[in-house]
Amino acid sequence: MKLFCAVVVVLSTAALGVAESLTAQTAGTQPSSYDGPRTSDGKPDLNGIWQVFSTAAWDIRAHNAQDGIPAGLGVVEGNDIPYQPWATAQQQENYANRMTEDPVRKCFLPGVPRITYMPFPFRILQTQDHVVITYEFAHTVRIIYTDGSSHPLPNDFWMGDSRGHWDGDTLVVDTTHFNDQTWFDATGNFHSDALHVVERYTLTSPYHIDYEVMIEDEKVFTKPWTMRMPLYRRIEEGLQVLDYDCVDFILQSLVTQEGGAQ
Amino acid sequence: MRARPSTYVAIVTALFLLTPVFAAAGEGGQDESFEPPRTEWGDPDFQGRYLPGPGQPMEAPAGDPWRPPEGTERGHNASFSRFFAPDPDAPSRPRPVRITKPMVVDPADGRIPLQPWAAERRGEIMARQDELELLDPRVKCLPSALPRAHLPVGYNSYQVFQVPGYVVIVYEWNHLYRYIPLDGQPHVNPNIRLGMGDSRGHWEGNTLVVDVTNFTDNTWPIGHGAPPEGAPASALTTGHGVFHSGNLHVVERFTMIDENTIHYEATIEDPKVFTQAWTVDFVGLRRAPEDHMLFEYACHEGNGRGLSLMTGVDIDSVRVHSTR
Repeated sequence: MKLFCAVVVVLSTAALGVAESLTAQTAGTQPSSYDGPRTSDGKPDLNGIWQVFSTAAWDIRAHNAQDGIPAGLGVVEGNDIPYQPWATAQQQENYANRMTEDPVRKCFLPGVPRITYMPFPFRILQTQDHVVITYEFAHTVRIIYTDGSSHPLPNDFWMGDSRGHWDGDTLVVDTTHFNDQTWFDATGNFHSDALHVVERYTLTSPYHIDYEVMIEDEKVFTKPWTMRMPLYRRIEEGLQVLDYDCVDFILQSLVTQEGGAQ
Repeated sequence: MRARPSTYVAIVTALFLLTPVFAAAGEGGQDESFEPPRTEWGDPDFQGRYLPGPGQPMEAPAGDPWRPPEGTERGHNASFSRFFAPDPDAPSRPRPVRITKPMVVDPADGRIPLQPWAAERRGEIMARQDELELLDPRVKCLPSALPRAHLPVGYNSYQVFQVPGYVVIVYEWNHLYRYIPLDGQPHVNPNIRLGMGDSRGHWEGNTLVVDVTNFTDNTWPIGHGAPPEGAPASALTTGHGVFHSGNLHVVERFTMIDENTIHYEATIEDPKVFTQAWTVDFVGLRRAPEDHMLFEYACHEGNGRGLSLMTGVDIDSVRVHSTR
């Protein structure tokens, strides 16, 4: 609860700072007409610290408020996740057990795209052949290869294997090789190890990226589905990504329980 | 950002001319005359993927070399060896200790200058590695801190990125990373504590000098290789059990000494724990083969069983409240 309040205050500050450019945000799938700063190789310059301002980390679908959780309209297009029948039941079971079974509550790596809309900032580093995203939550790192390489032999990663390319001025990131251990949010929306994620990052103003993410998993869903939300640039002077090392919180609680020195 | 062919010709020529110098520099020597390639904005270009340097002891033992009692195995990490066989999937480690002189070059005796109380505390820490609170922080999946993240351990592989104003190092082990700003701004507020510290860098000639403060007080600054089980802390050459306070201050110097090698030197200062500042000096980063990529090292996710066996606590039972 304390964390939640702090995050809302910080986010409100960030949002106010860029309010004048909110109108520049485009909707729909049209390519952005915004033409901003570019890197030396001519690509839109995504470098900087970004954060999502929504309630998607709690629930990606439309939901009413609960104690400590604000209401939200959701980020799933059409608000419909096309679960196969067995998977609908599984999600309901996950929801019932969410206080103990949510992998993020165990401080496990959150997977993609959940890491994007966790209520923490992340930093994008863009070079000619890599886009590296370093997240504040659990010092998670994604190295996205934009060097034309393809996915290596199948493997089993919490954060998947990410390969990117530029579709005009949109960074398209194709991520596969996931395990089946992560959720999409704190309500137990889930996937299998067949998950395939395609993210599209399009700069629409100096302060906004249009973030669209396509989810495909033939073991769990009847068809692909899409989420969309803006990424907001954090503009506070001297801002840097700090630490949220929840492993340390877990260790501290154990030492305290044992009557140790903490 | 890639070096042009003409640059490579220059490098190869330089390498040829400098060969005798390298030979003379030998162990721990540092040749600063190598001209590294440049980024398009003119900084020395350290970008690429790297493996750690060759095996080398951290410190000189205090007394006579310690020998394990008859019939016991040696060479395994004291914390792990009781419970686990070596990981068959582990990447090949740097070759067994090849360089015999200690990484500690100052003080000249190769010993870590612990204050007497800290030496005693180190002994206690190493004798009680079955307690969660004192267990090696890396075994608990806490951040490596520095200079520990650059010591020769198999999973310590690196990728260095540069953009104007920053050098960024991504560490394979436990997916750690550091942004090193080069703009001369002061350190972050002292209330802020960071597992890898707060880094501020600048170039001195071709050497990247990084000043690091704002560490936590729950990591170890050094410790690599395998402390033999049962050895007293005074006999260790691996640096395990050396701890630091929140006052830890590390100054690192990264120098490219040839196309494929970055030399590493760090001065470690903590007036609460050490009698003086001390310096380690070794080959820090060796360019990785072309096909090397950093894999995901998910440390904490699979650590519950191991920690439970070692310390008896059930880490898998704990939930945190990062989202409601």
